[in-house]
Amino acid sequence: MFNPENLIRKGPPKGYFKDVLVRGLLGGITYLMVLIAVLLFAKIIVDGAPAIFTSKFPFVDVEFLTAKNETLHVFDDAKGTRHQLPASKYSEYLNAHPGQEIYNEQTFSYSGGGIAGPIVGTALLTCGSIILALFFGVCAAIYLAEYAKQSPFIHAVQLAILNLAGIPSIVFGLFGFSVFVLAAPVITASPIDRSLLVLPLLIEGWALSFQGWNSSLMAGCATLACMILPVVITASEESLRAVPQGFRDASLAMGGTRWQTIRKCVLPFSLPGILTSSLLAITRVAGETAPIMFTAAVAAKDDLPWEGLTNPFGVLSSQVQALPYHIYTLAARIPSSEYTQRAQFGSVLVFLILVAVLSFGSMILRAKMRKKLKW
Amino acid sequence: MVSPNSSSESSGHRFQRRGFSFERAIRFFFASNAGLTIFILLLIIVFLLREGLGFFPGYRRELEVYRIAGLEFVDISRENLSAHEQVTSLLNRAYQAEINGKCLAELQRSQEAAALYNSFSDQVGPTRDLILNNPAAMTGGDGGMLAVLRANYEAQRAKALTKLPTTPHLSEAEREELINSLRNRPAEATDEPPLVANLNAAFVAARQTHSDPLQKFRETIDNFETAGMDLGSIVMEMTESVTATKEILQSADILEKDRKTLLAAATNAKDPVEREKLIADAKASLADKPDVEGPMAMLMEKKPDCVKVHEQLVGAVGEVFPSLPDTLTQANALRYLNTAKSAWPVLIEDLKATPGKINSWTHTDPVPLSAAFISFLTGKSWVTGGEWQDFYGLIPLAVGSLMIAIVALTIAIPVGIGAAIYVNQFAAPREQALVKPVIEFIQAIPSVVLGFLGIMVFGTILREISTLDSLNWIPGFPIDERLNIFTAGCLLALMSVPTIFSLAEDALNNVPAAYAEASEALGASRLQTAFRVMVPAAFSGILAAVLLGLGRVIGETMVVLLVAGNRIKIPDFSEGIGAFFQPSHTLTGIIAQELGEVPLGSVHYRALFVIGITLFITVLGINATAHHVLTRSKK
Repeated sequence: MFNPENLIRKGPPKGYFKDVLVRGLLGGITYLMVLIAVLLFAKIIVDGAPAIFTSKFPFVDVEFLTAKNETLHVFDDAKGTRHQLPASKYSEYLNAHPGQEIYNEQTFSYSGGGIAGPIVGTALLTCGSIILALFFGVCAAIYLAEYAKQSPFIHAVQLAILNLAGIPSIVFGLFGFSVFVLAAPVITASPIDRSLLVLPLLIEGWALSFQGWNSSLMAGCATLACMILPVVITASEESLRAVPQGFRDASLAMGGTRWQTIRKCVLPFSLPGILTSSLLAITRVAGETAPIMFTAAVAAKDDLPWEGLTNPFGVLSSQVQALPYHIYTLAARIPSSEYTQRAQFGSVLVFLILVAVLSFGSMILRAKMRKKLKW
Repeated sequence: MVSPNSSSESSGHRFQRRGFSFERAIRFFFASNAGLTIFILLLIIVFLLREGLGFFPGYRRELEVYRIAGLEFVDISRENLSAHEQVTSLLNRAYQAEINGKCLAELQRSQEAAALYNSFSDQVGPTRDLILNNPAAMTGGDGGMLAVLRANYEAQRAKALTKLPTTPHLSEAEREELINSLRNRPAEATDEPPLVANLNAAFVAARQTHSDPLQKFRETIDNFETAGMDLGSIVMEMTESVTATKEILQSADILEKDRKTLLAAATNAKDPVEREKLIADAKASLADKPDVEGPMAMLMEKKPDCVKVHEQLVGAVGEVFPSLPDTLTQANALRYLNTAKSAWPVLIEDLKATPGKINSWTHTDPVPLSAAFISFLTGKSWVTGGEWQDFYGLIPLAVGSLMIAIVALTIAIPVGIGAAIYVNQFAAPREQALVKPVIEFIQAIPSVVLGFLGIMVFGTILREISTLDSLNWIPGFPIDERLNIFTAGCLLALMSVPTIFSLAEDALNNVPAAYAEASEALGASRLQTAFRVMVPAAFSGILAAVLLGLGRVIGETMVVLLVAGNRIKIPDFSEGIGAFFQPSHTLTGIIAQELGEVPLGSVHYRALFVIGITLFITVLGINATAHHVLTRSKK
């Protein structure tokens, strides 16, 4: 007998379980990644927070952020009290308690004091390289987006950008070392009064001499700038191309020259986009270690870069500490113990907060930009 | 497009009439900035080659000295010696693994008790030393201070007793007993707690009982070991004489170089007096032609002895083979034994071929430039700064890089592509908004931070996991080294997942919506649409994503420098999959580690640049392939 009920299939549809299984698997993988990321941050925050946050106002350990980096001395005095003092306070302590014996002394390099040197160094390196890269990168992007027609030259430029973007960072380190540290001093070696490369400045006695290459701030900046140039060019070209063609046509129709058009009608509208994407480049520059290992960074430095200099441009030819290199030193060169944890996890947390602020800033700005600039 | 003004001819500034104009100048300025990228790329290539190419002649000279001084001759015998030693160590490992496997229970109990005791000692050590070292403790004076120190010690002890490692193989009562003995232990005591000593004694006894049936195996191993003694002593004798010759040759080379520098300076010198002086210096620096023939003749006198020792060794090795046990009870012991047995015919073959090699070797054979090239590309050792001979072989570094890349991609490909498919095809918009930024943010984490986490956290966790009994079946577990290929691979996987994810997601996004609509119109389920339509359509994009991920993994420096373990050796593949749990070194890591320490311009320094060139070519090749795949698919 015909039963219409038979036409309706009972139970879950065909392939339902397979569907659920595959979706669950893929979703599981995805959320596993998210979980791992969250765990990583949790670990760093939990271990690093005691180093840089305090329970009292202003809730941030200002000393850790503003003091210079020193060797940490850990020792017991005769009463069995444990002291942890950075090198300068250690000698003060010894002077204050002459004749007293100390026991179980241990020293931990780079673990005492604060991380002012590395923070300042990273800031200088980042600023210098981003200024260089933005200047040359934006100019190159203007050419590519506004002037260029199909030609062998443009093909070569595009190929070069593509290849530069793929070069491993350590190869940039080798390049910076051989060009800016070894070759550049030879080229610029002639004395200041005879050299053709000297630009006298208006202020008395100061001159921009392009000398002082070697392992230095400017060598590091130049290397990093070469590294992020392709990123900046690509991003700038994209935001230049996003400006509607009508803007240019209108300006040209009014009799404006090409340069006037670019200056008044294209650049102002693409500038926010360029700056936003360059934030991403800053994140990358701040985090790179390999290119500055041989070109700019030192593990230990007593002074901040500008201290003890007569000419302010001397900063450019001084070596600096850098936060990523400092973290590398802390991780690789010193044995881990309970006394080095503060320096290690504290530096990493500060560094990560810096990077997080930069990259979240660029994400938010990008989202805002997309909403605001719709033509 | 040139400014419209430039077309107006006669009017305007005179520069304009000659084809110059402000507009053109600006255009030229921007074009030169674009050309800067080409300039930088060329500069990179030129300087890498400039520093790197000097490597091959320099290395050729080193290899020539290696031959002329007779080091190569000694190395023929030395290689046999080390092969013999390797087989011996394999047999010994088989023997130890067999015994330890049989008394595993005792071994674990003894180890756990010792670990607990050691952990306690480490924790209370500083406060205890303070009591023992204090002068007051000797003289008996100043009881007050001692009391303070003792109180500190007790406090530290109480703290230490709460932070002891777990002991899964000890019974509750035993653990309790051990902890009690530690609690009541006087600060001055130096002997081990009774339970630790007892368990150790039990372990030694168990070893004894289990080693009795293996007596014959032990004797075989010992016989085999003594067979190599003669070879060892003759190699040692020859080593001394050839090292002396090498030193003479090297110092002659240095003098020669000095002379050339002086002569070059002399030709440039303007002042004739100074020039005369430089030329005189150069003449004084002229080295006597180093005498290599004398020592070489003495070395050649050893030839017959060397041949004789090898012939004896072949006999001895052949005799030992039949007396090896057929099988062993423990799996890993059997694996070692089988590896040793499979190496046997090769060893005998090599030993038999050696006399021929020894007799045909002459120190006067020329060393062509191609020898340096081949030795670099196929050399199995990277030895630098050694007393014997520096070798710059690419293989150990390339193998390390490759194995790390394999681990990283094995993890990152399924995770990255799986997540991309899920986010693009199945996830709700709200999920997308959560997952995408998080994964993008992983990309922003600097590599040195990941390396730091690997060294501080992940390596330790991984090793602890590997000591679990339930995971013993995985080859290579428990892991010996905290920092190894697998640890580095996992962290690099974390780095390359975002790259693969975002590129693969882009590729899926770029598939025209009509594909999915058509598929659904035909009645396909979401799953079928995703896997039979979308993924195949985006395949080339996904492939490009994987290749770019590979490029990133190979070129990454800081993570591998910190986490890969930095041992320059080809991993021991006799361990099977366990080879992935050994430390290794990489192409990128070696540059970062050694460039800061080498003398500028030395062969070693140039070798690092050649590694840089290799890396440059490899990564650019991978990236070019990826872009080729992408552009072909777009057509």
